[in-house]
Amino acid sequence: MDWHQLDLSPRITAAVRRAKLKCVQDVLCVSGLDLQRLTGLSRSDVQQLITAAATACRPHPPVPALLLHRGECRRLESGLRLSVGCPVLDELLRGGLPVGGVTELSGESGAGKTQLALQLCLSVQYPTQHGGLNSGAVYICTEDVFPSSRLQQLISDQSCLRSDVPPTLISRLQFSDHVYIEHTADLESLQVCLSRRVPLLLARGAVRLLVVDSVAALFRCEFQASDWLERTKQLLSFSSTLHHLSQEFNTPVLCINQVTDVFNSSDDTLGPLSSNVSPALGLAWANQVMVRLMMRRLQETVARGNQRSALRRLEVVFAPHLARDGRDAAVWREGVRGLTGSECTDVQH
Amino acid sequence: MRPVSSLSLSPSVKVRLVSAGFRFTSDLRGLKPLQLSKEASLSQPEALEVLQTVRRVVGGDEGGGGASASLTALELLQKEEEELRSIVTFSSQLDAALGGGLPVGKTIEICGAPGVGKTQLCLQLAVDVQVPSCFGGVGGQMVYIDTEGSFLLQRVVDIATAGVRHCSLLAEDDEQRVAMETFTVETILSNMFLVRCHDYVELLAELHLLPGFLSAHPRVRLLVIDSVAFVFRRLFDDLSQRTRLLNDLAQQLIAMATRHKMAVVITNQMTTRLRGGQSQLVPALGESWGHAPAIRLLLHWVGPQRMAAIFKSPAHMDSTIQYQITSEGFRDANQCEQPQSKRPRRHTNQPAASQRVTSC
Repeated sequence: MDWHQLDLSPRITAAVRRAKLKCVQDVLCVSGLDLQRLTGLSRSDVQQLITAAATACRPHPPVPALLLHRGECRRLESGLRLSVGCPVLDELLRGGLPVGGVTELSGESGAGKTQLALQLCLSVQYPTQHGGLNSGAVYICTEDVFPSSRLQQLISDQSCLRSDVPPTLISRLQFSDHVYIEHTADLESLQVCLSRRVPLLLARGAVRLLVVDSVAALFRCEFQASDWLERTKQLLSFSSTLHHLSQEFNTPVLCINQVTDVFNSSDDTLGPLSSNVSPALGLAWANQVMVRLMMRRLQETVARGNQRSALRRLEVVFAPHLARDGRDAAVWREGVRGLTGSECTDVQH
Repeated sequence: MRPVSSLSLSPSVKVRLVSAGFRFTSDLRGLKPLQLSKEASLSQPEALEVLQTVRRVVGGDEGGGGASASLTALELLQKEEEELRSIVTFSSQLDAALGGGLPVGKTIEICGAPGVGKTQLCLQLAVDVQVPSCFGGVGGQMVYIDTEGSFLLQRVVDIATAGVRHCSLLAEDDEQRVAMETFTVETILSNMFLVRCHDYVELLAELHLLPGFLSAHPRVRLLVIDSVAFVFRRLFDDLSQRTRLLNDLAQQLIAMATRHKMAVVITNQMTTRLRGGQSQLVPALGESWGHAPAIRLLLHWVGPQRMAAIFKSPAHMDSTIQYQITSEGFRDANQCEQPQSKRPRRHTNQPAASQRVTSC
């Protein structure tokens, strides 16, 4: 930290150097009296030092929310949403995934989480007027091999799913070129991936969506039951990295999570459950998530033309801007589609 | 009569004062700065600072002269009733449990599991603090420090619109109708100042700079920090440092609340504590943090219902109320259709509760 950059008198700067204070953090995390003792400066000098350090850390004063509403403060809120690709599901999410936080999608195996994630990897590539972010996606697989044949199938049927977009635009997009796939089998390689390769792609503007499929896999198997303190630390460190990436590059982060059975249904810490499963990784992870979505696979099936699909339900468990609500959906060849009211009547039991 | 070594001066100055023979503050009384600088071989500005510190300390201790005269409890009560009004929310049950609304001049902590409604209550209060005084509100501005990124404008606009609609339905006389002209969604948003902090260093820096901002904006009556736990629970290897920083933070917030006459609302997360084989859900950030806020609100689920429990408050009984989160914001459960009329409290000898007109 170059103390000369701050507007301080040479006497204060010299005292700070002598006390071996290296960065703004050292100054702000020590109490005023301790600073006086370390530097030998008087109270008013120490106040000046703290104020200068704080200003270096926070160059912008508080902003009236009206400026955000008018779109004049891109730094704080862009109001962008990443569309899921289906108008019914977008309506549930009031536009799509928010751009500046971690969204979690949990559900049982076979519920359709990976399907929705793949669909998002394609919808992010559309321009902003069609709900995309004009950029690619990074897909980090921690358990199964990436379903590349399914991705190809989704790409070929995009014009069927996205009937709102002109076909010439769809044919011009090179979808598979912009989905970057990473396989990480353990925590260490996941950390390396998130701290080196992903920031490079984000900084270049090549990607604007980060998908981790799934978070539970690595944290559930690598730790014994007695290591829960270590596991929590690693989990917090991981989520801290995700948040940092999300905020620095204004990128939505989607984390796919597994579920765990709920034995004691009177344990309603996290609210009423619509089924007998709840997202894995417990309270520590739940505290880090901004939007929690759940995908359920139901008993009924729904038919359309010559295709059949098990009925799914996408639900909002909690979000700062969404009500607890859900929409029925089905997984077709072209992707995940929410069912409109009229289609719901075609459901067979 | 305080020893010089207990004053908040730099150590070298204190050493020089003591070696020159000034051991107590009474020795320094009646001296001019020039005399002091000669006798104790200090520079002029240092001597001036010493005398100012002594004057401030002595004035505070002995209660003689200066701004810090002592108050009687009755004067304090009258001051509270006139100046420090409570922030009425749109939930009458919560207002009743808190004795009239969220008290200004105190720190309030809201803890709860994710998704129970802490951010919703904070956003609701951000609108409630701006309700004009002819409707019983405080008519102030607010500062929102967001550490989680959960301040989403879509939701803020929803709550502000519902608040404006609620008040316009209540407007009965001319004074209120005139006030409604300046109580619109746009003005509500313009009176909300947003700050985003991504880690604890930024939060500490922001709180150091906030008193300057508050002096420039004297109408601020509410500070919301959502949430303190999010930034302080990560990456902390040294728990004793964390406790020390949290204590400093708490002291700063309490000082700001009293000096600038505003309510400080802090959001906290929940964590599990193992005690004798049983696991219990407790507020995060440790035991010593629990002493910092004056009032603690715990939001939790009981089956499908949301409940708010006041479990620490010096002025009110521990009670639990039920609430719901609707598209309009934080409201009473079983809300009836007709909005309740809220008249401002006038200073009389009658207890405040009997002044309020409720119809439902």
